[in-house]
Amino acid sequence: MRVLLVEDDRELARRIAEFLRSERCVVDIAGNGEDGQHLGETECYDAAVLDLGLPKVQGADVLRAWRAEGRNFPVLILTARDGWSEKVEGFKAGADDYLTKPFRVEELVMRLRALVRRAAGHADAHIVCGPLGFDAQLGTFELDGLPLRLTALEWRVLSCLTFRKEIVVDRIELIERVYEGDAEVDSNSLEVIVARIRRKIGRAMIETVRGRGYRLTAGKT
Amino acid sequence: MRLTPASLGGRLFLVAAILIVAALIGAGSVTGLILYRFIQGQVDQRLDTQIAAVSSALSVTLDNHLSLNAQIEGPPFDRPGTGWYFEVFDGESRIRSASLGAAELHVPGPWPFEWLTRSAAGDSPGIGHQSLHFRTGSEIVGDHIVTIVATAPRSAIWRPLFEALSPVLIALALAGVALVLAMLVQVRFGLRPLQALRTAVAEVRAGRRERISANQPSEIAPLVDELNNLIADNAEGLARARRHVSNLAHGLKTPLASLAVALDERGRDPAGELHELIDQMDRRIRHHLGRARAAAQHGPTRAQTSLATRVTDLVAILPKIHPGKSLTVITDIAPQIAVACEAQDLDEMLGNLVDNAAKWASKRMSVSARIVGSEVTIVIEDDGPGLADDKIPEALRPGQKLDESAPGYGFGLPLTRELAELYGGGLNLGRSDLGGVKATLMLPVAC
Repeated sequence: MRVLLVEDDRELARRIAEFLRSERCVVDIAGNGEDGQHLGETECYDAAVLDLGLPKVQGADVLRAWRAEGRNFPVLILTARDGWSEKVEGFKAGADDYLTKPFRVEELVMRLRALVRRAAGHADAHIVCGPLGFDAQLGTFELDGLPLRLTALEWRVLSCLTFRKEIVVDRIELIERVYEGDAEVDSNSLEVIVARIRRKIGRAMIETVRGRGYRLTAGKT
Repeated sequence: MRLTPASLGGRLFLVAAILIVAALIGAGSVTGLILYRFIQGQVDQRLDTQIAAVSSALSVTLDNHLSLNAQIEGPPFDRPGTGWYFEVFDGESRIRSASLGAAELHVPGPWPFEWLTRSAAGDSPGIGHQSLHFRTGSEIVGDHIVTIVATAPRSAIWRPLFEALSPVLIALALAGVALVLAMLVQVRFGLRPLQALRTAVAEVRAGRRERISANQPSEIAPLVDELNNLIADNAEGLARARRHVSNLAHGLKTPLASLAVALDERGRDPAGELHELIDQMDRRIRHHLGRARAAAQHGPTRAQTSLATRVTDLVAILPKIHPGKSLTVITDIAPQIAVACEAQDLDEMLGNLVDNAAKWASKRMSVSARIVGSEVTIVIEDDGPGLADDKIPEALRPGQKLDESAPGYGFGLPLTRELAELYGGGLNLGRSDLGGVKATLMLPVAC
């Protein structure tokens, strides 16, 4: 799960990012509205956490600009402003959720996961693909009812594929969602990760679509 | 005890009344004096004529006695007791008018040089209790120096004086009453701008207008200018204080958020005690922020906010606030209904109530509004579990949180009620026909 965090308080941004990373998320941080708007318009994210009171460009304007550009990733507004007027304005600008400071960081993670899950079209938190089960709310995988142990990179790839089970996920998109924006990506490393996952859940479950990407499948089609 | 009246009208009236009464008394006195002089002059003239007549009729008889050689006792000198008398005296013998009979006039004795003036005047006690006015004249008849005294009753002066003066006094008294009434009207009319000013200030205080009209009489225009400046300063100070509180609150929340996130790292607060402290701080900040916002409502506001638009906006965001809940929201609000509240405060009140209803509703909720007199009654109902009657006062008391796990029945309801009451409205909770809570919010209608 790749998250854009737009927050001008560096200390808070650092701590949230640290926590999100520990929850196996990929996090990009923007310290002002201008950078945030640019990243949201050019990069590919599963969700964004957006502060409203930002330097250079206000949060609500950033959000409107994203929506005007057709960027439809779910956006959670994280702000100290807790009035209903601001809440209504935020939602009208295109936000999907609203959390006021101070907050429990676990709650932020839960809400982000719920946003991403619903954006992928899953009303239920439990996503099943053959023998593979994924609790999108807790972020845990099961295989035949038993907990599946995965590394952070494996988890990112598999969760991405699970959210879009039976659909081909583009290679480039997968790489973008798995690695941090400034990380040097070895072109072979994705294959290596996919191979490791296949060893854990069974070869047939991840299908390689040559020239495009990968598909998680229960094998019936 | 102070002698001057406390009111400006009273002062003006008192001074004017004293001056009017003094002027009328003065006018009455002068008129009386003039009339007195005039009437007395007429009586004197008549007496002098009589003295002249007596004088010309005097002669000395052969035996050296004075005698009147003509009949000069015409009316009223011929009727006894009338006060119209005359007497001729040469130091030895007297000739008296018929009206005097045998009585003797007590007039002051002749002055040593009285004859030079040939006449004198004065009052004498007269005969019996009769008060007399007299004139005297001196004449040399033969070798006699005679003094002629003619008298008239004092009433011959006073009676016409009273007769002439009483209509004058009545006229003056009526004029006095009319002047005092005119003064009253003038004071009331003159002070009317002050009354209007008082009403205007009260309206500013009540928030019905923002400033006092500058169209004022020149005497109070500078005062109104100063008042308007004061009102503007006050509003600005209030806005600044509100902004400061808001900035302080929001400024505190970000580091508080950092602290909360830091506590979540590596199990630093396993029992959640420190998080509870952060929650407490947050609750206090929100409470005081709400209070500061509410307190600012004493300032001038003549806001008009369309109810239907705000409710539509709020209802539209409910699916995002309560995702995964399929809720039927029935709204029944005429589009022309507007309430006299700041949009932000209306959002705050409606937001809390609509959100609560959505949180507790199982399938359905409704928002309706209608105008009752000068109030808009907004009813928000849900089909949830509802509130027991004995829990209602608790839900409206500040600082109470009925359900710790579901934030909302926290300070949202007391704050909503507080805001509504500041606008002169109110909030009631009860049982809905749908089964859950029925919240009735009353707010002033915007006109």
